[in-house]
Amino acid sequence: MKPYLTRRELLNTAGRGFGGLALASMLEANTKNPLAPKPPHFPAKAKAVIHLFMHGGVSHVDTFDPKPLLNERNGQTISAEAAKGLKTSRIDFTKAPMRGSPWKFSKHGQSGMEISELYPGIASKADEITLIRSCYGDAFDHAPGMYLRHSGSQFPGRPSLGSWVAYGLGSENQNLPAFVVMSDGAMKSGPSVYSAGFLPAMYQGTVFRSGQYPVLNLANPKGVSDKAQRNSLDLIAELNQHHLESHPDGTELEARIASYELAFRMQSEAPEAVDLSKESEATKKMYGVGEPGTDDFGRKCLLARRLVERGVRFIQLYSGTNIGEDWDDAHTDLQTSHTKMCKKTDQPITALLTDLKARGMLDSTLVVWNSEFGRTPLSEGAKGRDHHPYAFSMWMAGAGIKGGQILGSSDEFGLRAQEMPVTVHDVNATILRLIGMDHTRLTYLYQSRDMRLTDVHGENEFTKLLVG
Amino acid sequence: MRKQFKLGLSTMRWILVLSLTALAVSAQDAQLASRAAGVLEQRCIACHGPSLAQSGLRLDSSEAALKGGARGPALVAGNAAQSRLVQAIRRTGPLQMPPGPKLPDAEIAIIEQWITSGAAWPKNATVAAPAQTWWSLKKPVRPPVPAKDSWARTPIDAFISQKLIAEKLKPAREADRRTLARRAYLDLHGLPPTSEQIEKFAKDPAPDAYEKLIDELLASPRYGEKWGRHWLDLARYGDTGGFEQDPYLLYAWRYRDYVIDSFNNDKPYDRFVKEQIAGDELYPDDPPSMTGTGFYTVGPNRDMLFKVEDTNRAETLVDMVDTTGSVFLGLTVGCARCHDHKFDPIPQRDYMAIQAIFQNAEKTRVFLQYDPARTFDLQENARTAQLWEIADQFQALGASGGRGGRGAGAAGAAGAVGAAPAGGAAPPPPARSPEDEQKLKALEQRVLGMFRSIRPGPFAPGIHDIGRESPTKAYLPARSGRPPEPVPPGFLTALGGGKVPEPPVEATTSGGRTALANWIATKENPLFARVMVNRIWHFHFGRGLVATPSDLGHRAGLPSHPELLDWLATEFVDNGWSMKKLHKLIMTSSVYREASDVSKEANDHDADNLYLSHFNRRRLLPEEIRDTMLQSSGSLNLKMAGRPVVPEVAREELYGLSGNNMWQVTANLEEHKRRSVYMLSRRTFQPAMFASFDAPDGILSCSRRVESNTAPQSLTLLNGQWTMQEANRLADKLTGIADDAGLAEKAWQMVYARPPREDEVRTVKTFLERQTAELGNRKAAVIELGRVLYNTNEFLYVD
Repeated sequence: MKPYLTRRELLNTAGRGFGGLALASMLEANTKNPLAPKPPHFPAKAKAVIHLFMHGGVSHVDTFDPKPLLNERNGQTISAEAAKGLKTSRIDFTKAPMRGSPWKFSKHGQSGMEISELYPGIASKADEITLIRSCYGDAFDHAPGMYLRHSGSQFPGRPSLGSWVAYGLGSENQNLPAFVVMSDGAMKSGPSVYSAGFLPAMYQGTVFRSGQYPVLNLANPKGVSDKAQRNSLDLIAELNQHHLESHPDGTELEARIASYELAFRMQSEAPEAVDLSKESEATKKMYGVGEPGTDDFGRKCLLARRLVERGVRFIQLYSGTNIGEDWDDAHTDLQTSHTKMCKKTDQPITALLTDLKARGMLDSTLVVWNSEFGRTPLSEGAKGRDHHPYAFSMWMAGAGIKGGQILGSSDEFGLRAQEMPVTVHDVNATILRLIGMDHTRLTYLYQSRDMRLTDVHGENEFTKLLVG
Repeated sequence: MRKQFKLGLSTMRWILVLSLTALAVSAQDAQLASRAAGVLEQRCIACHGPSLAQSGLRLDSSEAALKGGARGPALVAGNAAQSRLVQAIRRTGPLQMPPGPKLPDAEIAIIEQWITSGAAWPKNATVAAPAQTWWSLKKPVRPPVPAKDSWARTPIDAFISQKLIAEKLKPAREADRRTLARRAYLDLHGLPPTSEQIEKFAKDPAPDAYEKLIDELLASPRYGEKWGRHWLDLARYGDTGGFEQDPYLLYAWRYRDYVIDSFNNDKPYDRFVKEQIAGDELYPDDPPSMTGTGFYTVGPNRDMLFKVEDTNRAETLVDMVDTTGSVFLGLTVGCARCHDHKFDPIPQRDYMAIQAIFQNAEKTRVFLQYDPARTFDLQENARTAQLWEIADQFQALGASGGRGGRGAGAAGAAGAVGAAPAGGAAPPPPARSPEDEQKLKALEQRVLGMFRSIRPGPFAPGIHDIGRESPTKAYLPARSGRPPEPVPPGFLTALGGGKVPEPPVEATTSGGRTALANWIATKENPLFARVMVNRIWHFHFGRGLVATPSDLGHRAGLPSHPELLDWLATEFVDNGWSMKKLHKLIMTSSVYREASDVSKEANDHDADNLYLSHFNRRRLLPEEIRDTMLQSSGSLNLKMAGRPVVPEVAREELYGLSGNNMWQVTANLEEHKRRSVYMLSRRTFQPAMFASFDAPDGILSCSRRVESNTAPQSLTLLNGQWTMQEANRLADKLTGIADDAGLAEKAWQMVYARPPREDEVRTVKTFLERQTAELGNRKAAVIELGRVLYNTNEFLYVD
């Protein structure tokens, strides 16, 4: 309930107009600032996370999990026994025919990891990534699936992974949000998927937009020049200072004054953070900036690197939108949708891994590639694949994770997770562990319960394999 | 903070055990035994006690522990290593207990020492969960009122004063009239007083001027709008269902209006709650009362998703039980869904007994007027059939339109990083013969005619009972070889228990919720009145006598003023459950009238102001910020009730919504100026001001709002469209005033409801000059002045 700046020391420094004060460092030193950097529970392997989320559902059997048997039995149905208990949004598992992948898989790197030709760039990084082929869940519609993969619950209202991380570790940079979101627009879950849930609003994901002013309401109102804005801010500060003098006990008033200072700092720092003109042509080219197809996601990946450099803790990137270009167009046309969406993301993601490594940042940055579910190994209609949460793939890189390893497997058809099935809780506990947090100790008291991202679930062999 | 009041729970337990262990064992063993008992009780008994006995094992008596469960004896006296209990808690074997994190080493050591020393356990002694001993589970007894001192005006003050003296704290001076007026207006109306209203009160010579003011405020319909909003937070109210489609809950707003009306009419609280739990059964001839059952339908739901009906039903029941428990009982009953409650004496069986009551509740529409409702349905049917026909004709004319595929529209193009332009230019319409054109026009006219006068039907959301013959059991899940066990409808054993009686022969419904409502909403229920008076106290002072208004169980600790809480609870009952009387009682007290100055003693010894030596300053809620801006710019529209209003928000704010048309702005611009409580409350989207200033998301019941301080809040208030809009409207009222002093006077009166000081007038002069020079015209400078005032702490805070 208390505002975050309650130190009396601030009284003498805050609120005397803007600029000139070492407020940011004071904020960092202030233990009552909930976004001040906090020590992790364990030595952290990574200090930042870039979460690449392929929103809409990526077909695992066409990207990271080869199933030659599907090609062999193309057009046949699976047995009633194999179909038992499986349901999804549109198709009937007892009637829909198996469908082989139209893409070729081949072995990559020292490890010989099999990845399809849809992702040639990522395939070239096989020795950098740990591939997990045994993810599973039980939400087969987008919104519940999105909530599940972000918050551990199919229902909205719980904090997103990024919010938990911001809550647990604070931020290295008080002038930028701790948890930044970049999406393609319309989310199938609505914006609540990156909300702070029951955590205070300060931990919610801040959407970065295109243009000079990435944060909502960062720009001056129309027609207000910088100088006029400055004048108005000065008057706010002056009136607040007067007010404070007659309320000398007003710690919450001081906090509010400080939040204008922060807003002002964000107004100057955020535009710089998103200014790609500082990047070399070679770098931009590597990310695919300027190229049709890759420009958009390339910019996001490049921005993600810039934000990590500036101390942003958690960057959530989405590829795919509910209104426009979408992985989920695979319902009706797998080939067109996946060709296009992989093309959009392959080069940028590859460049991100290359760039992070070249700058010595990969070891301290966790890169996660994820999706709310896979797609059915069975055909939807003539050309599509439906939602499939019972087996799908994801991968992680950076944070000192051993590259070139494959964890878990799905069955011969890619229908169900088989060896070492991995739930979202296993994944989240592991991500937290990699950034130095114990998921059982990262709690928030809500409705008289110590709430956790992983609810009542625990770490397991999977975590150990990844964290070492 | 909480710690301060936390009763030594474990101490209590040890006392219990110690008293039992007095016989037969040495003092040292007794001490060890009591400590071991403490561990067993806190860590094991919930599952291995009398209520569950999982795997057949009970650890509540020595006989039972030695006998063991399905896996054999739990302990071997004198041999810790051989004891299964130790292996389980040490996690050396396959059996790892308890589930979740491992026990602390110190606790494991206690158990080991105790077993090694022979596991002495006095005969007939049992370890028991501390059940009905918790203060909130005992009926409140009206305590004597302490002697009043000169400061105390009301019995409330006598209780407060007693504690202040004990804590060596002095109450703050009384706030001045201006401050009191602003406090009372915002507290009861969510709107500050205008300068005229302040003047009127400040100059009222009557000795009871303040009492009169409170009466006036309570009589205004603005009161229901403000306090109804508090209740809507608790009812996790929303106008849409959530998830991808986030569809409209078409008539949810009737429940919102019902709540506002109930507060305005000072509906007795017990009646208010009975209507919400079982209005359909209790008051079947009074549709407005039945509207109360909307409580169970205005939460999130995903009924529109297919193939998950079982999950939906389960989640609906969970929501019903959890919300009932936390809102009406102040107990986290929901924690007993999967296991016995870890802190409160609520076994999972009790949870299922309550769930069984809701098993045959089904969402329905309440007919507010029977005949018009039926007629509405008939007309809707006829209209739909006509539309099918018309659609055929449109298609025959090649003008079916269609949705343009999943990618149509442009909500995604709101300027996000790299947002792809979505949709495209519409294809040119096919050429039609003049005859067809005419037909098309006629069809269009027909459709228009059908919809021109369409209005919402006379319906409200609610629940009803699907009949007395329907099954009304819930099941304890199968566990460790034990089959699922049916649990009949019943009440919480911690509150006396009891079963739902068989419905009378002539009854058509099960009567389960009627029984529940009568069991909950009564003074016999120890929690019912306490919970509500504590909530009302919480909203007045910013903190309840119990800090967690929806949890009066063990985790809440003790109230800061237990006697006061009980006195208020009994007074509330004696006053016929009148909330308005309770408000007046509280607001006329001396403690409510304290200034918000913090003394040095308070700062040093009571930083959280538990003892209320001063008033707690608070920030306006986002609804209040918006409503207050509207009022101060002279544009607030006080129209009440009706369909939710969708005011314009900046296009950039809509970013991330799952589809187009999710924020269909209300056509009538006057509607945009209505109070925030009437604004569409969408589950997947909140306007930036609401999202950043900690408005609840309507997913789970919210009993107290967080008050965070962030940069995005300041950006929203500083640069957001709403602020600019009201600053513009304010400027419209001000720019006619040529002299700066006059302008400052008017601006200060409109926004702060006070005249400016001389130095402030000078400041305004300089500011306007500077901004006029910078922006090129005076109007723009005046707009800037308005924007500044809306961003100041004097505007944002209530003393």
